[in-house]
Amino acid sequence: MVFAHGFGCDQTLWRLVAPDFAVDHRVVLFDHVGSGGSDLSAYDPEKYNSLQGYAADVVEICRELELSDVVFVGHSVSAMIGVLAYHRAPELFGALVMVGPSPRYVDEGDYVGGFSRSDIVGLLDALDSNHLGWSAQMAPVIMGNPERPELAEELTNSFCRTAPHIARQFARVTFLSDNRTDLCGLDLPTLVLQCSADAIAPDVVGEYVHRAIPGSVLVRMRASGHVPQLSAPEETTAAIRAFLTP
Amino acid sequence: MTGPEEPREPSSRLNRLLDEDPADLYENAPMGYLSTLPDGRIVKANRTFCAWTGRPPADLLGGRIHDLLSVGGRVFYETHLVPLLRMQGAVREIAIDITRIDGTLLPCLLNAVEVRDDDGSPLLVRATLFEATARRRYERELLAAQRLAEESEARSRVVQKVVFDLAAATTPEDVATVIVQRGRAALRAGGAALVMVDGEADDWRELPALRPVRSEGLSRELLRRLKEAAGSRLALELAQGLRSIVLDARLRADQPQLAATMAADGLTDLVVVPVSADSKRLGVLVLARGVPARGDLISLEEPGRHQPLSPAEVDLLWTLGRQAGQALERVRLHEQTRQQGERSAFLLEASRLMADAADVTETVERLAGLVVSGLADVCVIDLVTEHGMTRPVARHRDPVRQPWLDRLREGQPPQRSPMHPGSQALRKGRTQWVRDADEARAMFEAIAVDGGVRDVARRLELTGLVSVPMIVDGRRLGVVTFAADRHRKPFTEADVDVAEQLALHLAQVVDKGQRFEFEARTSHTLQASLLPPSPPRLPSLATAVRYVAATQGVDVGGDFYDVLRLPGEQVALVVGDVVGHDITAAATMGQLRSVTRAMSVDRPTPAVLIDRLQHNWDLFELQRMATALFVTLDPATGELRIASAGHLPPLLCQAGTAEYLPVRPTRMLGAPPAPAEEWTGVLPVGATLLLFTDGLVESRGADIDAGMQRLREVAARSCTTDPEELCDRLLAELTGVHRADDIALLALTRTERPQLPGA
Repeated sequence: MVFAHGFGCDQTLWRLVAPDFAVDHRVVLFDHVGSGGSDLSAYDPEKYNSLQGYAADVVEICRELELSDVVFVGHSVSAMIGVLAYHRAPELFGALVMVGPSPRYVDEGDYVGGFSRSDIVGLLDALDSNHLGWSAQMAPVIMGNPERPELAEELTNSFCRTAPHIARQFARVTFLSDNRTDLCGLDLPTLVLQCSADAIAPDVVGEYVHRAIPGSVLVRMRASGHVPQLSAPEETTAAIRAFLTP
Repeated sequence: MTGPEEPREPSSRLNRLLDEDPADLYENAPMGYLSTLPDGRIVKANRTFCAWTGRPPADLLGGRIHDLLSVGGRVFYETHLVPLLRMQGAVREIAIDITRIDGTLLPCLLNAVEVRDDDGSPLLVRATLFEATARRRYERELLAAQRLAEESEARSRVVQKVVFDLAAATTPEDVATVIVQRGRAALRAGGAALVMVDGEADDWRELPALRPVRSEGLSRELLRRLKEAAGSRLALELAQGLRSIVLDARLRADQPQLAATMAADGLTDLVVVPVSADSKRLGVLVLARGVPARGDLISLEEPGRHQPLSPAEVDLLWTLGRQAGQALERVRLHEQTRQQGERSAFLLEASRLMADAADVTETVERLAGLVVSGLADVCVIDLVTEHGMTRPVARHRDPVRQPWLDRLREGQPPQRSPMHPGSQALRKGRTQWVRDADEARAMFEAIAVDGGVRDVARRLELTGLVSVPMIVDGRRLGVVTFAADRHRKPFTEADVDVAEQLALHLAQVVDKGQRFEFEARTSHTLQASLLPPSPPRLPSLATAVRYVAATQGVDVGGDFYDVLRLPGEQVALVVGDVVGHDITAAATMGQLRSVTRAMSVDRPTPAVLIDRLQHNWDLFELQRMATALFVTLDPATGELRIASAGHLPPLLCQAGTAEYLPVRPTRMLGAPPAPAEEWTGVLPVGATLLLFTDGLVESRGADIDAGMQRLREVAARSCTTDPEELCDRLLAELTGVHRADDIALLALTRTERPQLPGA
């Protein structure tokens, strides 16, 4: 199983979920380049100006470790990175778990992503204006889990380790990508985990992803916010287990 | 100053101030106070805040804080502030803009606390706002400066990458690919194309022909419109520098079709970037803006809205254009040098092929083969001959298409259509150049005699054609036509230059060849007319004669043979070789034969005949010396008398053996006289006497002794009583397809009984 963290976080985010699967899986955790403990000098603004750059890394990791029949668990933007990685090397993957996915954040025509262009502009401006303190504040927003402040601390630390210029580009790539057409042609068992009251990926988006991937399983979780693997690790683990158990 | 004031007790006024009414403290505090319900509804605001925003309390109360925020601020409030307050109970130093009543923005820093009841449910949010105009301005300036530096760095990176990629480019196509991809990425354009000036652009030329060489992300329709517009609008842009062609009312009026296509493709403008080197305008890079390229990030601009180029973008594009221009120029020079080398090698190879060819037919065959292996797809050569126009060769590079060309060749002899470029080239004495597919189509329309020809012409897909006349000393010898089909780039000036040089070279070879062939044909005709058509029938003897002309050039031999029936049943045989290979040699041979015949009337012995010929040589006014072998034979007894004037000895063949007779030669005919020696012997019944000239035993690369040895061996092996068969075998085994010299051969077999007439 390969666990991939989302925007602004790093692999420690999976620490309440991944160990449970280590008993019967080979568990691989990694930080995207630019995040967590990754080598920042490996960050190439051109390569990472698209989610394809991150997807290429996923494929490279799988090949380097000679993995096969991979269960790819991607949180938030990494759910789409997993989709792109599958298209690059379908032979590597056995199943896909998408936690709070969104193929496009910006509304377009009948499609509801939850954000308008100016929302994104405002968001980016706000992020810029609050440059110094931004990372530390964004973490709890994403987590949406006030009952357990120690988790917020964990995220905050993770954000602090992200260089601001990388964080800004990752934000742009995350919120300004359109990967809806990439949902076509996914020929592997897929689980969509949808939290309630998710400000980043609302219900309609989860439903859209579920509809776009024939045969996918949509599980609506009781957990609120955008980071169920921290706010509700038991529920998250159980949902993935149920999906993986034939 | 009057010195320090006396210390006083804290004044009653200060005390009054310190004991101030908390309500006044709240209302007139040097900061804004705002209280809202958890859902953002404003329930209280102090006077300072009202004054700052210009909003009376009545205007504020009951409204929501959202109403005071810009859209971006609202998103930030919803996604950041509210959750942070919920989680942490407080936020600090949040940068936020409040909208004043007049619409202007009040940059603030906001601190807030969430007031909760005992079970932790939120009751109220208390916020303080500090005006931070100067600080925020300063921060924004910092941020802007940082952005500028980053953008500048990003541009430098783009330029660096472009320079790096261009350095590796070796063809104009490589350069085009780099510049189209990088230019498109730099401007995040939906599509891009490099449109090049065709040929050399001269400054005086107002409307150069333009041609798209590389494009991506542009619709076929737009490319077509661009090509149409290339002649006018883009040409102007080329002269005017970097421009943005915006889809606006003016464009709709000036270029309605281009405007419609742009609108259909969702484009807002086309950015036209000059590509130039020094002062040379090479073309333009066209960038189509409006729709993001597939795979690109979603643009933050609203779709369809035109975004003017920033000065930095303009700078970057200028740089890209110049870099591309320089790279194109470098590649062009490199390509030119390479092509020059190739052309020289090609012409050298052509010269070599033509020099090695035996005759005109072989020359044109070889040349056509060489042409379709490099210069063109089709090579047709027409020659003017004494019988009119002939077409010895029409070759296609592709054997599959050769039959189509053959059909065209049958249907289109150039003399029948005065419009054929070949005919025109010949008539006007100038190269005719059909430059593109449209011209080629029109040309075939004009000359096609029927639909079939038109169909064939269409199948050949010819896109260019060059006809060059072959002219030497004002004489028109023919025309060479080179054609290209759509698999090849159109002919260039340089190609035409090569074609003309080839045609000139070929003309000289053909001229020389035609002269030689004419002379050779004349000589051979003369020679054949001078030789007896067939030897007379002789009793008890069987004879066979052969004359084989040389195959190379105009060489015509002075070789001859003769068989005479002398009075008194004697038979005289002669084989000779006049020095030289030309018409004079042939003429001398004829004269010598006549003289010999005349002198044989009184039956001189061979030695006497040689003596007489030598002593009277001047009298005969024979212009060349000659070798000859004279034989007399008595058919009844087989008695042989043989004398040689510098000639090779005869060969006697019988019963599987062959021996040269030891005839000792005297000097050649025409040399100062010397006594001739006569060999006498007997030709046995069944034996064959073989007289020959050196052409039979001489060959390139082997000396004459080896040749004679070989003749002896072959003759021994081939020994037969049929002299005809012997001659055939000898020629078959000893001579090749190519003969440097001509050959005369005379074989005589003594049969047992006299040959009856008709036997």
